[in-house]
Amino acid sequence: MSTATVTKDPEVRVAQKRKLTPTRVLLYVFLTTMAVAWLFPVFWAAYNSFRDYAYTAQNGYVSFGGFTLDNYAKAWADGNFAQLFLNSAIITIPAVIVTLFFSTMAAFVLARFSFWFNLPMLILFTAANLLPQQALLIPLFRMFREVGMLDNYLSVIVVHIAFQTGFCTFVLSNFMKALPQSLTEAALVDGASVWRQYWQIILPLCRAPLAALGVLQVTWIYNDFFWAVAFLTSGDKFPITSGLQNLRGQFFTDYNLLSAGSIMVAIPTIVIFFVLQKQFVSGLTLGADKG
Amino acid sequence: MPRPPGKMPSPTALRRSSGGLRTPLSRRTLLRGGASLAGLAGLSACGAPDPNAVRYGSRSTEAIPKEAFDNVFAAFKAETGLTVDVNATDPNTYQEQINSYLQGNPDDVFAWFAGFRARFFEDVGLAAPMTHIWDEVGDNFTDAFRTACQNEAGQEIVLPFYYYPWAVFYRPSVFEANGYSIPENLSDFESLCEDMQDTGLNPIAFGAADGWPQMGTFDYLNMRINGYDFHIELMAGQQRWDSEEVKAVFEQWKDLLPYHQEGALGRTWQEAAQSLQQGESGMYVLGLFVNQQFAEGEDREDLDFFNFPEFNPSIGAGAVEAPIDGFMLRNDPENPEGADELLRFLASAQAQQIYVDTDPQIAANVETDTSGYDPLQIKSAELVANADNISQFMDRDTRPDFAATVAIPELQRFLANPEAITDITSSMQAQAESIFG
Repeated sequence: MSTATVTKDPEVRVAQKRKLTPTRVLLYVFLTTMAVAWLFPVFWAAYNSFRDYAYTAQNGYVSFGGFTLDNYAKAWADGNFAQLFLNSAIITIPAVIVTLFFSTMAAFVLARFSFWFNLPMLILFTAANLLPQQALLIPLFRMFREVGMLDNYLSVIVVHIAFQTGFCTFVLSNFMKALPQSLTEAALVDGASVWRQYWQIILPLCRAPLAALGVLQVTWIYNDFFWAVAFLTSGDKFPITSGLQNLRGQFFTDYNLLSAGSIMVAIPTIVIFFVLQKQFVSGLTLGADKG
Repeated sequence: MPRPPGKMPSPTALRRSSGGLRTPLSRRTLLRGGASLAGLAGLSACGAPDPNAVRYGSRSTEAIPKEAFDNVFAAFKAETGLTVDVNATDPNTYQEQINSYLQGNPDDVFAWFAGFRARFFEDVGLAAPMTHIWDEVGDNFTDAFRTACQNEAGQEIVLPFYYYPWAVFYRPSVFEANGYSIPENLSDFESLCEDMQDTGLNPIAFGAADGWPQMGTFDYLNMRINGYDFHIELMAGQQRWDSEEVKAVFEQWKDLLPYHQEGALGRTWQEAAQSLQQGESGMYVLGLFVNQQFAEGEDREDLDFFNFPEFNPSIGAGAVEAPIDGFMLRNDPENPEGADELLRFLASAQAQQIYVDTDPQIAANVETDTSGYDPLQIKSAELVANADNISQFMDRDTRPDFAATVAIPELQRFLANPEAITDITSSMQAQAESIFG
């Protein structure tokens, strides 16, 4: 949409002419304050990530100067970021794809068929979400140690899939329940198998919730390093979130360097969000009502 | 067609009526799935141990220590032909993870600390004694180092590499400008603090937000007031925390607190060091690593330290806090000969020299050439060489669970409310009893 069409829009013109009442002024003040309060830490980190530690140590953080790009280059090299970004991709991509694949299948059966176990299964999936992950750390650690899967990406991926499938199944089954029954009935009459109904009828309609869940799952799995730190022991297999720890010394931490690293680590989730933003917003509300 | 009520029949019902479902998965899809699973499994690199390689678990991921170790291992390869496979984890994760790391498949040689904190892993059989290495290289280290590296049975379990002392740091330029002199004893120290307050300087920089820096102050006060032996016994759970001796330490600390920077609980050590750097504070009790806060060159050259002063002439100031970092040997290593070779090399003056050339620590090996040291390194080496006893810092001299779950919160409670000494000491004693058993 171009700016020209925006100004021609009658509604917008009305909004522009709307009188500034005291309540409106108050609203704007409130909204601006909240926005600044939320954005300030991020901008502060971004600002200081471009500054030299020696300068801020001498002059304090409330100062202007000492600008440099070195923090980014140093963070990338010292934090071993190239390798760790790759590790995060190795963990996140299969985990998200398999989670979504499994949960669409589970949700399809739970939502579209009437088995006696549908409700108990759905309760189980939802209840398992409430289980604190930490409670399972020791049994899982021992199990993986017994089968020799410690220090192996697979252990982290499998645990992520197991924990995330419940939530995704819950959301997807709500969405699929809202799809008209007649869609699959018509396919059934035409002789479509269950697989075909799932793969060719229902799944293409789930694009919006899948995008929404995709964004959430990528963010959660990418940001997690609890399981990675629990199961991986080789420093060069850790995900990028632990790369930030690489930028901290045993005692001394260059906080400007750490800010530069944090900004870089945050970029992929922001990119994913903006790419899928449209579907994300519509996907969040799509399952909410039974249309 | 009228819409039937309810959902579709279940597949089993369908099968009954129509005589079976078609296979939902085609062969191609199955093969594709299988291939991707195999690819996943392939992500785990597994192989037989290489006889020409030694696996080393490192906690050095920062640029300078990493480069220093790379240089050491390059020299090791040139000397012996053995490669070192370095598995580097950042120091914070490494320390948090050490338990699960050692229970999994640890590296043959791994970085750790001397003192009480090493003994636990040897006790439970995760690390092995290295008396056979010490028999060969023991002359390279002082007796104080040997003691710090032994288990309770007197076997050596750690190989020391480098150390850094704790002391009272100051800016020589500030001392010179104001005509201050180095305090030798408590009364000198107190009058120096008062002089500083008179000139508008905050006498002692102090940050306790990290939890551990204040342990250094406690350790020194305890060693100066009650002596080294009492301190070590207290750390080992053999003395009482609610004793008059410990209370005297807290009382003394309470008297000195007005000279400390206010609001310490909300300040990290780096922020406290910054106040020394910017000339707002006069002194700071911390480890040598404080110099990392100061930019190399002029800023760092204007930094010096003196030994923590004597509080009681009959006890003196001979005990110095100098944590030693070193290596431990995994129990049942994959390449025992290679691991021994590596430990022997790391103990040598040659290896320690290569390391400290890049990372300005102080080498543990007494034969190391000190000509390349900067003034602070030389002074540190002298301080420790002349020390009667060396302590390792509270979180290494006592059980880690006591240090983390009892000492940190209780010391912070003391700083928040210095009047509650009796309450704090009896609470620490009760918790010590339950931890040490």
